[in-house]
Amino acid sequence: MQTRSMQTREAKKWVDRAIIAVLLLMGILMLMPFFWLFSMSFRPAPEAYKMPPSFFPPSFDLSNYRTVLESSVPFLKIYWNSLYVAVLVTIGQLVTCTLAAFAYARLRFPGRDSLFFVMLIGLMFPAQVTILPIYLGYAKLGLLNNPLGLVLMGLTSSFGVFMLRQFLRSQPKELEEAALMDGAGYFKIFWRISLPQLMPALGALAIITFTGAWNAYFQPRALITSQDSMTLPIAMDLLRGYMSQGNLSVVMAAMSMAILPVVLLFLVAQKMVIEGVTFSGIRA
Amino acid sequence: MAKRRLSDLRKAQMQAGYIFVLPSILLYAAFVLAPVIITIILSFTYYDISFGADWVGFENYVRFLTEPRSLEIFWNTLRFAFLAVSFNVAVGLILALALNRAMPKFLLYFFRLAFFLPVIISAAFVAVVWSYFYSVDFGVINYYLGQIGLPQVPWLSSSKVAMTSIVIMDVWKNTGFFMIILIAALQGVPRPIMDAASMDGASAWRRFSRITLPFISPVLFFCIVFASIGALQVFESIMILTGGGPGDSTRSLSIYLVDEAFGSFELGYAAAVSVIMMILVLIITIIQIIGSRRWVRE
Repeated sequence: MQTRSMQTREAKKWVDRAIIAVLLLMGILMLMPFFWLFSMSFRPAPEAYKMPPSFFPPSFDLSNYRTVLESSVPFLKIYWNSLYVAVLVTIGQLVTCTLAAFAYARLRFPGRDSLFFVMLIGLMFPAQVTILPIYLGYAKLGLLNNPLGLVLMGLTSSFGVFMLRQFLRSQPKELEEAALMDGAGYFKIFWRISLPQLMPALGALAIITFTGAWNAYFQPRALITSQDSMTLPIAMDLLRGYMSQGNLSVVMAAMSMAILPVVLLFLVAQKMVIEGVTFSGIRA
Repeated sequence: MAKRRLSDLRKAQMQAGYIFVLPSILLYAAFVLAPVIITIILSFTYYDISFGADWVGFENYVRFLTEPRSLEIFWNTLRFAFLAVSFNVAVGLILALALNRAMPKFLLYFFRLAFFLPVIISAAFVAVVWSYFYSVDFGVINYYLGQIGLPQVPWLSSSKVAMTSIVIMDVWKNTGFFMIILIAALQGVPRPIMDAASMDGASAWRRFSRITLPFISPVLFFCIVFASIGALQVFESIMILTGGGPGDSTRSLSIYLVDEAFGSFELGYAAAVSVIMMILVLIITIIQIIGSRRWVRE
């Protein structure tokens, strides 16, 4: 009896090992596109289409990177646009969503619940339903082909308000009540007590918002056509023009730089990124 | 005295409340609420950028529902959604079951990295890489197929295969998301019940179908709803891999909408297409609300 259970335990161990081996293989396969693009970015252009493909850089030759920066595509400007939009959108959402979350979670005022409900409905609308009027409005205001337009439309989100409100409601209220008794105003309470309480959730929201803005494709694609105002995801089409000239390595050098911030963010704060993204469910 | 202080406090609270919600409400009204309402109105008009709108009633909707082209695109989108949702969730579940066992920390870090990295990198970037993998003569995939003696596949250039190729990339990109969510759900399955079942000699399949599956089914349901909403809006992966072709064989509603709006400047018609997309998403959301209510009650 004892030997039998030892045998099954032994068998189970081997099953575990086999499954992990298969997973390892799949994991490596999953990463192949990234290995390949990274290795390609260091490869001299004539070798781009060499077969069999290799997934490790032959040398760390930076000439493709130099070509990107010196090309006719204003890559640095585009990179700057992406940073500008993603950073400002992130800051904007942190500010507007925190303020609103504090009010919805902690204050009483007439119409509070209906306002919150109206805000929540926003979670249901796909980006496709808002883009046409925004396009028409921006055309009138001169905000087409302007990264500022992308910033403005991203300054708040129903999701951010919802997430921070839920988080704040799970935090203890006693400190605030004590502060109120001591005669502190609501702005002071917000700044001194609720904001520090919200810090962990703000980190998650910042990561989600930044990656979402960095990856956004649909809206920039609809609102921006001039090269100087593009963000990285839509500029990829432009860079792909190179591919027809056989200069794939240069495209991949640009791509490596384009995905770098998100990859770094992920390597450094894996757990936080995963928790944030699964909570929000962004589909980049 | 005390009474006055209380009412002062209430007033201060009210003021603070409105001031705090004001920025987000204004922005939300300008960039979400008003645009949604305008889109709905626009969908009943023929809109010309220089001459303005003409009321045409349901004409745009009639056109959508009677034109063979738009109906093909509608079915394409549903077909893509069905395939992408099934495989994303099924593969995610298999991966979650496989990963839900004791293993060293560094392996766990590696697996999370490998399966989740595609989730957070924009499809706009990785689809460019995939379009090279898929290319017929120079593509990595066809090269390896050739090595093991299989025929070359026209991944993106055949209208029969292109949709499958897009689904494959979509699963590669998104399945890690569902894997992570399902791992969390699996870890919530109570250990003692599982142990008791294996003591009683229940097979692995029986344990899965009788204990695990019922236990995680609310989460599974959420995954399906969530995947459907995302898949119905599919845009950049198709845009970059095929641009909707060959022919219309991979065109989705989102791409059609952009073509009509910014290619042909048929803004009224494009608005009708987006309202139809909104209705699809709405239907799924309502199913979700009904479904989750049922589970909560049980």
